[in-house]
Amino acid sequence: MKFALTDDQASVLNEVERMLDGLALPAHTEPVVAPYSDTLDAALAGSGFLDIAREDGFGTLDAALMVERLARSPHIVEAGASAIVAPAIGLEAGLRPVALVAGDPTGPARFLPRAQVLVADLGDHALAIEVDPARVQPVDSLFAYGYGRLDSLDGLPVRRIDDVATLRRRWRVAVAAEIAGCMAGALSLLVEHVKARHAFGRPLGAFQSIQHRLAMAAESAESSRWLALRAAWSDDDGDAAQAAGFAQSRIHALSYDLHQFSGAMGLTLEYPLHLWTYRLRALVGELGGAGAQARAAAAAAWPDAAE
Amino acid sequence: MEFGWSIQEQAHRVRVREVLARLLPPDWEAMSVHGPGSDQQTAYSHRFCAELHREGLLVPHWPRAHGGEDAEVWQQFILGEEMWAAGEPRGPQYMNVNWIGPVLMRFGTSDQQARYLPPIREGRAIWCQGFSEPSAGSDLAALRTRAVPVEGGYRVSGAKVWTSYAGHADTCFLLARVPADEGGAGGKAGIVILLTDMASPGIQVKQIPALIGEGDIHEVFFDDVFVAHADRLGEEGQAWEIINYALQNERVGIARYEFSRRMLDRAVARLKAEGRWCDPSVQERAGRALMLCEAARLLVYRIVDGKARGLPPDAYGAVARWAVVLADNGVNEFLTEFLPAGLLDDPVQVAHHQRAIAAGIASGAAEIQLNLIARRRLDLPSERARP
Repeated sequence: MKFALTDDQASVLNEVERMLDGLALPAHTEPVVAPYSDTLDAALAGSGFLDIAREDGFGTLDAALMVERLARSPHIVEAGASAIVAPAIGLEAGLRPVALVAGDPTGPARFLPRAQVLVADLGDHALAIEVDPARVQPVDSLFAYGYGRLDSLDGLPVRRIDDVATLRRRWRVAVAAEIAGCMAGALSLLVEHVKARHAFGRPLGAFQSIQHRLAMAAESAESSRWLALRAAWSDDDGDAAQAAGFAQSRIHALSYDLHQFSGAMGLTLEYPLHLWTYRLRALVGELGGAGAQARAAAAAAWPDAAE
Repeated sequence: MEFGWSIQEQAHRVRVREVLARLLPPDWEAMSVHGPGSDQQTAYSHRFCAELHREGLLVPHWPRAHGGEDAEVWQQFILGEEMWAAGEPRGPQYMNVNWIGPVLMRFGTSDQQARYLPPIREGRAIWCQGFSEPSAGSDLAALRTRAVPVEGGYRVSGAKVWTSYAGHADTCFLLARVPADEGGAGGKAGIVILLTDMASPGIQVKQIPALIGEGDIHEVFFDDVFVAHADRLGEEGQAWEIINYALQNERVGIARYEFSRRMLDRAVARLKAEGRWCDPSVQERAGRALMLCEAARLLVYRIVDGKARGLPPDAYGAVARWAVVLADNGVNEFLTEFLPAGLLDDPVQVAHHQRAIAAGIASGAAEIQLNLIARRRLDLPSERARP
């Protein structure tokens, strides 16, 4: 049991920090949906970090650390599916971004407008579908991610994936790591806000009612992070379900509180809180949401439970 | 970074479980439900801890110079986790080995160490913790029990409340204040720690009937009790430093989430036996309670890891305590809603309920932990901050 980063992990995260340092946020071209960070995506792809889980001496934990760190930033890139899911389900390196969808393969999927491959979890098996960008219809989104849907699967190269348990396990790890990072990023923004903003002659952050709820948010972010990292390390079905379910279960309260403490400013697109909370709100329902993960966690912990 | 156990740690856990299986009597479960402060468990703790001492498992984490084996921090923690999961057969003595002994090693005189450490490491000492008062609970610095300097020591008068284990304790780790009109410094600097013989004339202990079981909370009255200078721990003015050190050790010591986790296992087994586990809503709620336990576990492990790495204590202690409160209560809510019969016919579930309802109160209110997270982890300004 060692919670400290190894030298290699620290080096990778330092390099990710360097990529993020000073990176300008692209201007919004549409409400709520944040621009995809092409610059960061290119830097990550060029660094090889998105394939870190495929490298000797590295693994899923290293990928999850990177995904969590990236999600703390306001820049939006597809990293979780590429770095954590793709290596386990036989997708070739570099075939990305990767979009994931549960159920109907023509349903809305985040990142699909840019994806080269869509992985659809159909319950008893999955499909890896090579995406023709001309076949993707953009979907209006209230979330920070761009969404799209395929018009159909007709004529698209499709490969069957039988090991749907592995897909789902890694997807849960990726979701958990991304949520943990988004929580930490949003919390960090709000902590600075309540220190700087004054009301009734005091910083907002000096009021105990606000302090306590931010402290609870801190516990949510910390717990989500450690559960995600443990699940990435163990690559265990139960750990992955716990990590995703716990993180999803805390999104509502955390998002509510952080918006509440930023007041009407937090309702504007100018204030960047939505860059994290409207990712979180997209992630809250992935893979069936916290309830589905809780049942999966129960099934893994007490094995003859029906999922 | 890794989340697995070393071969040595796994072997240690196996050994602890083997020792527990061998030492615990057949009626242990019936005994354990009364709580660590009960007559039964306290009496049994003398036998159990003496046997644990013979097995080399009572104080292996202590330094060799004080009768330990310099065992790794994780070994101590694994031991505590298994003990707590089993219902804490060390009874009140878990407190001695976790923090009273280490505090005495660090701050005690050689005479105090010679007097108090051997009974602790041999499993034959019961201590109580004289901290809270009717007007000083979480706000410990507001304590008013008076320690008036007299020739050779102090005369102590006042009252302590919620004191666990006082009915059986040999010695009290007592906090009192040298009054300002007797030359004491104000605030925290005026507090002294007195290692007080509970058989001293002038001490009266009264058990308080409570929802959390027998023997756990008491009032202790001090009426002009003499305590010699030789029994003061540290210097006058040093008490707050010692208390902080003690609380850091105390808060790492208890793996409460493990008892909750094993209660969940027990509850699921019963729900299955009664044919009620197939309900997806039951599974979901059990899964949610499980997540709370595992989150608390990892945060507590993070504290232990920090201690093992020699890092200074940080706000993770408070984060972990809050998570543990949520875990205990989450499991209790699940049990109360889906297995209410267990609160009527399963003494172990009743015992868990009694621990859970105190989880956010014992060892300091959970809201104080939230204050600590806000101040130390998030660096938020003091409530008294003005522009």
